[in-house]
Amino acid sequence: MTSVIHNPTMLRGSLPEHLGAPREPAPAGELRLRVAPTAFEPAVRMLRDAGARFVTIFLADTPEPALVGVFALYGELVVLRAPGGDADGSIGDWWPAARWAEQELIERQFESRGAGGVGPPRFERRLTAPDADLLDRRVDGLDVFTIPYGPVRSGIFEAIQFQIETGGEDVPRIQTRPFFKHRGMERRFVGLRPDRAVYVAERVAGIASVAYASAFSQAVERALGVAPPARAECWRALYAELERIACHLDVIAKQAETTALYVGQARFQILKERVTRLRATLTGSRFGRGVIVPGGVRFDGTMGLDELLAELDHLERDLRRDRRLFLGTASMTDRLIGAGRLERALVEDYSAVGPLARGSGLSTDARHERPYGDYRRLGLRVVTHREGDAMARVNVRFGELSESLRILRQSIDHLRRRDGQLKTSLPEVGNGAGFGWAEAPQGELVIWVEIRDGVVHRVHVASPSLRNWALFDHAFPNDVLTDFAFIEHSFGLTPAGADR
Amino acid sequence: MLEWILRGLSQGRVTTRYPRREEPAPPGYRGRVALLDAHDAGPELAALCPTGAITVDGQRRLALDRGRCILCGACVEAAPDRFAFDARYQTAARSRSDLIVAGDDNSGSSEPPRPTLGQRAGALRRSIHVRHIDCGSDGAEEWEIQALWNPYYDIQRLGFFLTAAPRHADVLLVTGAVTAAMRTPLERTWEVMPEPKALVAVGTDACSGGLCDAGELTAGGVDTVLPVDVYVPGSPPAPIAIMHGLLLATGLLRPEEVAA
Repeated sequence: MTSVIHNPTMLRGSLPEHLGAPREPAPAGELRLRVAPTAFEPAVRMLRDAGARFVTIFLADTPEPALVGVFALYGELVVLRAPGGDADGSIGDWWPAARWAEQELIERQFESRGAGGVGPPRFERRLTAPDADLLDRRVDGLDVFTIPYGPVRSGIFEAIQFQIETGGEDVPRIQTRPFFKHRGMERRFVGLRPDRAVYVAERVAGIASVAYASAFSQAVERALGVAPPARAECWRALYAELERIACHLDVIAKQAETTALYVGQARFQILKERVTRLRATLTGSRFGRGVIVPGGVRFDGTMGLDELLAELDHLERDLRRDRRLFLGTASMTDRLIGAGRLERALVEDYSAVGPLARGSGLSTDARHERPYGDYRRLGLRVVTHREGDAMARVNVRFGELSESLRILRQSIDHLRRRDGQLKTSLPEVGNGAGFGWAEAPQGELVIWVEIRDGVVHRVHVASPSLRNWALFDHAFPNDVLTDFAFIEHSFGLTPAGADR
Repeated sequence: MLEWILRGLSQGRVTTRYPRREEPAPPGYRGRVALLDAHDAGPELAALCPTGAITVDGQRRLALDRGRCILCGACVEAAPDRFAFDARYQTAARSRSDLIVAGDDNSGSSEPPRPTLGQRAGALRRSIHVRHIDCGSDGAEEWEIQALWNPYYDIQRLGFFLTAAPRHADVLLVTGAVTAAMRTPLERTWEVMPEPKALVAVGTDACSGGLCDAGELTAGGVDTVLPVDVYVPGSPPAPIAIMHGLLLATGLLRPEEVAA
């Protein structure tokens, strides 16, 4: 095994040799490598040096119990598999992106081994079983106090806690504490047939139901070697873009609310409600649920394509006007410019994804890196801004709104040209394991599914919210306490997806 | 700023007239499942439901628990002669048994519900303060509750206000099946709210646990922890359904409007 790789592009073909790891058969878009447990950490280090992005780390059970690390590199998922390996927390020590995933894995393992409520000694605080009253202060000083904000928060927000250490203005330290709403969703998949397990997937993170259902369905399809019909892929992309529009409009409306720009807030809420009603007319569900199933989709959208197109035109016209007003309102933009600045190096270190990473100049997008479904045929422009502040993240979202509307028109065009089947049937007693992914509105989502004798055996969800939230602790370099709401909304994450 | 005002005015009125006038749901909207034929059912019908909302008794009669239903449509797809989607928004009920439809009997609650908040506090009209707590929802319920304050639903016109402090709140909206970590915060929030108060369980998870099984991780519904005044099933329930629930909890709905 050699040390540092000086020319990363050289690596592409020779990664197995560099890592001394045999390559295993894998579907397109994946590079599966087998390493010995002792070689796992050095291999991860080498991948990091080569510029890989950390995705997740978990224990798989198929084909044999193994520690699995997943990384994104050069438009492929690099999957390191160490049979018999065990997480020990050592990767998180030098790669912050891995810290939460690794700690969660160790704590849950500990739980399942029946050690009760006590965490392993190497962690001073438990991540996965938070206590609302537990405060551990780091910053000393006569006038520094700690505000435990959450899990019951003002307004209508999901449960999460921020421990804010502040002297009143500056925020020297913030500690984000997720997992208040851990529902054991990954466990809930087990024993269900895939066409039924997809209902669980839709409810892991409700605001991104379509992305979760698509990623889960693709994982099942790849595990069983089934391809969905092209028309089903068109519908999936169409629903996914409508979901992205709704989520981005929600974030923008919340940004307007925090600056007390109430007419602006109302305008973007109106647009969001219109998209939500459009989704209800198309699918019968305001969140596009109950349509996507492993193998395809259940039915055609119940709305004429011409009518849909007219509605999108109307939406775009209104959106363009509201966007011009929003970006021209100085009281709004002044608060966002420079707030919550995340340096590119930090974002890379934390392997952040989604609009957050794209706002700091990284062009990461699962639809572009590893095109799936109809995105293989749809042209996509990845919107990036370099400034790294809340304004950049809003600009990324505005850019993606236009981009989504453009993709929607292409999808409609594809739908017109692709008649026929909506669903490929799955084998009755299938066996296999695979990854599926999707670019959720919050960022790249990866789901691992193992199927044995036609039922789900194990599922692992690598949610964008969990990965991005670790970065929140570092989002206040030059900001004061009153900037909190802007910065939080600019992240646009969902605790349900992080906690699962 | 003037431009914003003109932009706002140019839109015209979008706000619903509900509850004075019914708000129609789009055709095909999955508001709730209706039982078309409950007789002579086989046990295979019960196996259709991923949450166990469908049961078949000894006389081969079907029963459907809407409080457990996640509106996935598996039963409607497999047995369209027995189940159908009902495109309506108002799905809230004042007792858990009101959500269970069995045989031909579509209502029939045996337990008397608690008097509404309005009956308990006669003066409490047009100024009701609402507080929300998330106990493990999937995040969609929060969106639908937030939507109540958007121009389409504008629940302030009915006198509902959002409050940050539980000590000022009259109604507590609870979402989620109540996770282990949220149990104590929920109990404490409820405890500090002044009497009289009402609790509304929003979403199928809050009504019964839904897809989240009761176990060490979740309690399986809010009513396993605290008394619930109004149940709003749905996964997630639409804003009008939540509004319906709030109006039921406060007794602001006219009798003819109560029937769900």
